[in-house]
Amino acid sequence: MTTPHEVSARRAARLLRWYPATWRDRYGDEFAELLIAEFAEQPTSWRRAADVARGGLLARLARAGLAGYQPESPEQVRAGLATAACAMAASGALGVAMWAQLATGWAWAPPAAAGPTIAMAAMSAAVLLLAALGLLAAVSLAWSAARALARRPARRALGGPLLLAVAGAGALAVGGHHFASAWPGSGAHPWAPHELLPAGVAAFGWAATLSVSAYWAHPAALAAFPGPEIAWMAVSPAALAAAVAGVAGLVRRLDLSPGILRYEAWLASSAAAAMAVFLSGACCWVLAEGSGPGLFHAGAIDAGSLAVMAVALVMAQRATGLARKAAPGARRR
Amino acid sequence: MTAMAKGSTGDGAPGAGALGSFGRYAGPATLILSSLAGGAKHGYALTKDVEAFSGVRLAPGTLYEALSRLEGQGLIEALDSEDRRRPYRLTAAGAMALRAHLDDQRRVADVGLRRLASNWGTS
Repeated sequence: MTTPHEVSARRAARLLRWYPATWRDRYGDEFAELLIAEFAEQPTSWRRAADVARGGLLARLARAGLAGYQPESPEQVRAGLATAACAMAASGALGVAMWAQLATGWAWAPPAAAGPTIAMAAMSAAVLLLAALGLLAAVSLAWSAARALARRPARRALGGPLLLAVAGAGALAVGGHHFASAWPGSGAHPWAPHELLPAGVAAFGWAATLSVSAYWAHPAALAAFPGPEIAWMAVSPAALAAAVAGVAGLVRRLDLSPGILRYEAWLASSAAAAMAVFLSGACCWVLAEGSGPGLFHAGAIDAGSLAVMAVALVMAQRATGLARKAAPGARRR
Repeated sequence: MTAMAKGSTGDGAPGAGALGSFGRYAGPATLILSSLAGGAKHGYALTKDVEAFSGVRLAPGTLYEALSRLEGQGLIEALDSEDRRRPYRLTAAGAMALRAHLDDQRRVADVGLRRLASNWGTS
């Protein structure tokens, strides 16, 4: 026989699922008791259920560093940086796929219209800037990780994310390098004067993002691809996800100094600005010149990529903005 | 809210302007701090007390969103408890932030009441 208290406890437990696990660990018991007391007073209330759902979603956003700014909070900075890294990786994969397509078209024949030229210049500059900022962020993170790993207690906490990051990045690098040899634009000389960047960079970008393809919607055409290429299209997103999850895990678990936190938050904020430049260039191409010939033609996948990149940009800017405000010592500056 | 932001201590410690960063949660935060100024309470007791003195019924999600923010800023602290209902109490920083916020609100209320009295007469 189920008692009314047990029924209420089950209802409370169901509502608690809106909240992230860390929040439930801290507040779950007392929140469930409050809900049980509320159920006794007012058995059903859609307004209360909606309020709990809204609170749970806000707690999840706060956990991701996207809401609930708190000053002097290293935890919020780390959460914001991890979320920004995920958003930038998603945007980066789609953006590099787009940029590599244009670079291939450029290698075959420079565009006659001004739109793709301006777009390519903006996108290439943004890619270079993002690569430089990513390198700076990685160096500082690697330095902090190396120092932390020297201490035995940190090894167990950091080992998993580090392994994931290295394995994912390694698989992407090796696979990208291997499949880059099949790049359709490889006939051009690496430093041909009409190219904005060396062909090798574009080839690697094309190979690493081979999975961003409209061919998924055309299984018959996809089936004509070589087996290893199809396998790489399936594996490379998992490799990227592993690398990003590893980096995000490292950022969340590393006990970064206030100075490094402020530095990483500044780098992330600058990267978000570079993402905006890239997105502007991509919009210029897709919206203005998307009906161009050959590879300068933008398809539905490019329009979809723009939408995802816009959402990722908003997330990255929100996360980095809150991270900079929450950084220790930020108020004194 | 701007009046509260103006009162920021500027040294990173929670202080007079601590409620300034609460945005639309400043209302629930003020009610909670005012309730805890009368003594430590757990979630349900807080809800009933706030309802009794203000007529506002804080929904559970809103209450705990504000509680977690207040605790994160060091304005309240959780006390040990033998059962699942954990009581909270006001900290010294919380008392200072509440006093500054209520002083600001009183100044605004005084101005409004004075102007009402001079231009609209007393009711």
